Amino acid sequence: MTIFRFALKRILRDKTNVLFLTLFPIAAIFLPTAEDGWPLLPLGYQYFGILLLFVSIRLTSIMIEDRQKGVVKRLAAAPVSHFNYLWQNLLAFSVIMIIQIIIIISGGYAYGHELYEPWNLTILYLVFMFTAISISLAWNSLYRSKESSFLIFMAVIVLMALLGGILFPVEMMPVVFERIAVIFPTYWLSEGIEWIVFGEDRGDFLFINGVLLLYALFFLIIGSIRRIS
Amino acid sequence: MTIASIKGIVKRYKHQIALDYVDLDIHEGEILGLLGPNGAGKTTLIHCLMGIIPFDKGVIQLFGQEGAVFHHENKKKMGLVTQEITVFEELTAKENLEFFAGVYGLKGEEKKQRVKEALEFVGLSSKAKQTPNKFSGGMKRRLNIACALTHRPKLLIMDEPTVGIDPQSRNHILDAVRKLKEQGTTILYTTHYMEEVQSIATRVVIVDQGQVISEGTVDELINNIQHEEKILIDVNDATMIPIDRLKSLEGVKQVQVNGSVIQIISNAGAGNLDRALSIVKETSGVVGIQAEKPNLEDVFLTLTGKQLRDGEDDPS
Amino acid sequence: MKELATIRFIGIRMSRDFITMILLLGVPIILITVFSIILGEVEGLSGTPIRDETVVLLVLGFQLFGGAITMNYVHQDLFAERKNRLLSLPMNTTLYGFSIMLAGIIYSILLGIILITYTTMVFDVNWGNFIWALLVITLMSSLSSIVCLVFTFSVKNFKIAERLSEVYGVGMILLAGLFFPMPDNALINMFNDYVNPLMLAYSSIDQVRSGGLSDGWLYAALLSVLILIAFGLLLLTGRRRMP
Repeated sequence: MTIFRFALKRILRDKTNVLFLTLFPIAAIFLPTAEDGWPLLPLGYQYFGILLLFVSIRLTSIMIEDRQKGVVKRLAAAPVSHFNYLWQNLLAFSVIMIIQIIIIISGGYAYGHELYEPWNLTILYLVFMFTAISISLAWNSLYRSKESSFLIFMAVIVLMALLGGILFPVEMMPVVFERIAVIFPTYWLSEGIEWIVFGEDRGDFLFINGVLLLYALFFLIIGSIRRIS
Repeated sequence: MTIASIKGIVKRYKHQIALDYVDLDIHEGEILGLLGPNGAGKTTLIHCLMGIIPFDKGVIQLFGQEGAVFHHENKKKMGLVTQEITVFEELTAKENLEFFAGVYGLKGEEKKQRVKEALEFVGLSSKAKQTPNKFSGGMKRRLNIACALTHRPKLLIMDEPTVGIDPQSRNHILDAVRKLKEQGTTILYTTHYMEEVQSIATRVVIVDQGQVISEGTVDELINNIQHEEKILIDVNDATMIPIDRLKSLEGVKQVQVNGSVIQIISNAGAGNLDRALSIVKETSGVVGIQAEKPNLEDVFLTLTGKQLRDGEDDPS
Repeated sequence: MKELATIRFIGIRMSRDFITMILLLGVPIILITVFSIILGEVEGLSGTPIRDETVVLLVLGFQLFGGAITMNYVHQDLFAERKNRLLSLPMNTTLYGFSIMLAGIIYSILLGIILITYTTMVFDVNWGNFIWALLVITLMSSLSSIVCLVFTFSVKNFKIAERLSEVYGVGMILLAGLFFPMPDNALINMFNDYVNPLMLAYSSIDQVRSGGLSDGWLYAALLSVLILIAFGLLLLTGRRRMP
């Protein structure tokens, strides 16, 4: 578990990272609930998916750094498999994001927000967290510089949030946009949130999480191909 | 004529002394090799000389003027080749040179001509319109040098210009330095590769821990530490050699015959190789000669008690 | 004034900086396009189409980030890898810093003009008076560059300066209520009315668009006061940090 331990150490040693990782979920708890009935959950919970995407791209960027600095090459020469390197890093990222999820859910509960089904919301965030990490992993594999990757992904996040129905209800959009919205994982997150609020068929919730996990698997496969240089 | 004179320079970084009362003269037309391990204070000295950083004590005289390191008129007569590659990655090789030529005040046709010459000089004419991010390490280093040449500086300061490049590019750069000297440019060349200094420098200054510990030509430095010269001549027939004549040569301390090899030990600086050889050749054929002589590495080792590449990172 | 002549080269460098170009031009074009399509022709409470409001705010909002290129170039050339070489040149580094700032402002204005033209021609967004819009864009771009440089000079760690510039951009957008409505708090309202450059710029354009030239001037004047204050801070911090 050396790689896992050091991935955690590296992330937590960067003070801006620590600030960013703790302050934002806490701030999200205190965002108000919309007055006009949409978003359905308090704003901080509606936008938490966007935060998960931001956090995952920031965390996974240490793997680009490893590639830039030749650490991946060095590890390839060491008796450690690429699979080991990958899952230990992903585990470190997941641990940090799970803590954030616990903070926001328990914080919201304590603050008195109406979260409908906090346990199911936790499951939804956890599943989306895996999707977010996989997307970031795949995205980073396209770049050589972590700065470019991060900056362009910020724009992609805004677009995904916009077109996936996190910022606007999908129903408000033109028909074409409404149709293509399903291809964005963010659409399934907002569908999940809707299920949590209205809680209909449990099968729907499973289906939504299933789609998100499929996305996670797809991007994980793309992102896990070893790129040494 | 002295074009730069450094007297008693002291530079401190908090509690660390980077330059400790350094005295140094740079004479017109010479290639002065500034030799020292990493962290010796070479780069700090250069930065003080170029007016990039202030120093705490001492005087620097440039082109006969005192305290003139920050004057733009003097900067125009100088060029700095930085240790790092400091060209603009987004500009083509030609645009890089045009930028620096413009800052040095060149204009119009003259600027065009100088840019063209500089590109030719470093062998990058065919790459003029390419951006450096497509260049090899050696090509980038050459462009890095060319950026300091368009204004034809009187004093060119080269801070480790060959770090991390292949031998072919290194030779190209060393040849370019020799050519610049022939054209009348004075060069201060810092490095921790003693082979480079040995091959191009007309004079060498050795610095360590912020102090000048020795200076002179390569031969002078070597002679300073050498106590005796040893010549070994392998001959066809040792019995015919006039040992007495060899012993009578000036400075010879001892002559010994070991089988077919004649060993001649003289005082340091006696320079008996030619004379001994002509005496031996009169009576016998020569099969091989070996003159054991220390090099700059030995000089450094003797003076500081450590190898040239032992040092730590430069504090600057 | 050979320092000013370097603007040409700084401009060439900026124009070849494709990542910045994507972020400051490509991304806004995509976002504006998506927003414009989603919002359609819906009219807001004031009678102005919501699309016109949102698009103008978006274009002005991206101007808040225009200073990033200025701060990056100043950092690279005067504080990082190229510092020693540029300090060894016979030029005034403060003037060179100003040249970078000027080039950054012009670059940001040009991107603004492209965005105004695009939104006018493709989505028929009403910017009111083009010259006025240009003036406001110029003020926003100048403010952004100056503020970003103040950040660069105020903190030693450039990464923190970059984060501060992001906080400046995102913070103003957030306070303007572009992500979600801000609570009706007197302090936030006062900040948006008199300090938030995004709201000042928008109000100035909006007033001129609806015929209130004097109010338009007032908001532009407030924006100029911010620029003057920021410039004062720039001189103070710059004097301390400029090499």
